Amino acid sequence: MEEPNSLLGSEPPMAETSALPMTDEDDGGLRRSITGKQLFFYTLGDVLGSGIYVLIGLVAAAVGGAFWIAFAVGVTIAAITGTAYAELVTKYPQAAGAALYVNKAFGNKVLTFLVTVCFLSASFAAAGALADGFASYFATLWEGPPALLVTLLFIIALSVVNFIGITESVVINMVMAFVEIAGLVIVLIIAIWHIAEGNAEFGTLTEFNTGDTNWALAILAGVALSFFAMTGFENTANVAEETIDPHRSFPRSLIGGMVVAGLIYVLVSMAAALTVSTKTLVEADAALLEVVKTGILPIDTGFMTTLFSVIALIAITNTTLVAVVTQPRILYGMANEDVVPGVFAKIHPTRRSPWVGLVFSGLVVCALLVVGTFAPDVEGAPLIERLSLVTVLFLLFIYSLVIIACLKLRGHDEDERTFRANTPLLFIGLLGNAAILYWSIDDDPTSLIWCAGLVAVGVVLFLVEYFFGKRTPGVDRGDPEAAQRQGEI
Amino acid sequence: MHVVVATDGSQQSLRAAKQLKSFADPAKITDISVVAVIRPLAAVAFADDLSSEERRRADLQTGGFRAAAESSVATVAAVFEGWGPKVHRRIRSGSPANEIIKAAKQLNAGLVVVASGGRGISDTVLVGSTAQRVQHYAPCPVLVVRPAPRVKKK
Repeated sequence: MEEPNSLLGSEPPMAETSALPMTDEDDGGLRRSITGKQLFFYTLGDVLGSGIYVLIGLVAAAVGGAFWIAFAVGVTIAAITGTAYAELVTKYPQAAGAALYVNKAFGNKVLTFLVTVCFLSASFAAAGALADGFASYFATLWEGPPALLVTLLFIIALSVVNFIGITESVVINMVMAFVEIAGLVIVLIIAIWHIAEGNAEFGTLTEFNTGDTNWALAILAGVALSFFAMTGFENTANVAEETIDPHRSFPRSLIGGMVVAGLIYVLVSMAAALTVSTKTLVEADAALLEVVKTGILPIDTGFMTTLFSVIALIAITNTTLVAVVTQPRILYGMANEDVVPGVFAKIHPTRRSPWVGLVFSGLVVCALLVVGTFAPDVEGAPLIERLSLVTVLFLLFIYSLVIIACLKLRGHDEDERTFRANTPLLFIGLLGNAAILYWSIDDDPTSLIWCAGLVAVGVVLFLVEYFFGKRTPGVDRGDPEAAQRQGEI
Repeated sequence: MHVVVATDGSQQSLRAAKQLKSFADPAKITDISVVAVIRPLAAVAFADDLSSEERRRADLQTGGFRAAAESSVATVAAVFEGWGPKVHRRIRSGSPANEIIKAAKQLNAGLVVVASGGRGISDTVLVGSTAQRVQHYAPCPVLVVRPAPRVKKK
């Protein structure tokens, strides 16, 4: 409910809607507020914050100096998945996302429920991984508090912020995106400086350091992790309903945002490989910070390090916020379909926030972090790697289904304004998603235990609703469109 | 005079509309615009507490939050049916206080009616409720309808 302009004075400086001509003189005038440009920066900010600050060291560890290839492949597959989302959004511009598409395509209640729970679980795991990334950058500023405490406080703080509703300003989102880009531009400048000084060894870029694993498999491992860096774009479907001229602007902004983010990722990973030894990247907690710490730029390193840490913290916060907003929204939708207890549809009477869902989501993420910290390390994988792999597993499953849904829904609900994704590319994307999914499970079966644990949370909620909940007469459980038919009678 | 009546889908906003009707002189009001604001980046962009449960679910599934907003606006607009003034329904998108103020300016409103938050701790401690901001920046008088002393939970 708060906007930044409350700080700036009485005249709203933003042109969110005032740039539009006043055309709604008649009854029922509908105004949408999100322009294509804002959507572009929303996508960019959401995507950029997640991965590269957090994961670059892990990807480097998997592949070696050539880890930019992993980012390039991951980004490409994600962008192809993005085209499927763009097509489906132009067909069904509701704020629903994957669950709606899968339901339209397959009409299978169990599958729809599973997709929704997977999406929710992915969001929980992502928030956990991001919180851990936040803690590692935070530690570079202040080493005092233990990481677990920082992550828990971080999640609690974001839940409170979400309850109040400060996050709702499109302008803040844009500013965040610019800050994130600025951080990555700093990395690029350092690399260019390094190259200009003639110190760069380009041989690193083709170096594979994979131990005894095959280089192709090593890249696949890197891709799975780098995939986490692209996640977040699916949340843009949330604002589809409020986008101006969605048929034109949505595909352009979504895919444009992903391609730009992908380019930045590839360049940044090249820059990191050129300036810092792979070994340093692998060992550092806040890997990208090592690039700044090299002191290549003739600016005080201490200052630059602090600046960069702050930027990284802002970037991670932005993406985590989107996840924290998404979780109660999914629960709200599910409560309205009678698949989780109705209490999740409860809205705070004045703040208009789904506070029960918010508190519950916060608790689940905190529980994940606590369990992840104290559970015995199965293969010595750090918490962040574990949680990001779990996120990626869920998302790969969802992305594959969304691409299939996109192909299956061809010829339905189309008009001349529908965006059409490139079909051969979709098949490549499907294959890519499936290959990474298969490989990730094969490589690290313990992740499945975590996945099962998270899905179990959803199943328990369903059982509670099934045995104790009140059913709305005539509304079939778990069928989003049954409610619609009910409404028409 | 053009009156802007804001609704956020809450029972309190419906009470505010009824409050206006209870004392205002319909002969002096030419137009009433019922305005709802969708918050696209909020966890729940618009929650409709005014319509029946079936209606609410149907809205969420078919048209999403926009349909929920339309239902709320329709319920509030129904309060003024047959009262005299011409009733307009408007749905905007953005941050509530901003959009209500913008609507008031564009419509050259003579009065804005808003419901104020509860008396709970979140509204006294946390600054910047919508009603507060509207009062501060509205271009015209504002009627803020406070909740009844004992908040009835439904």
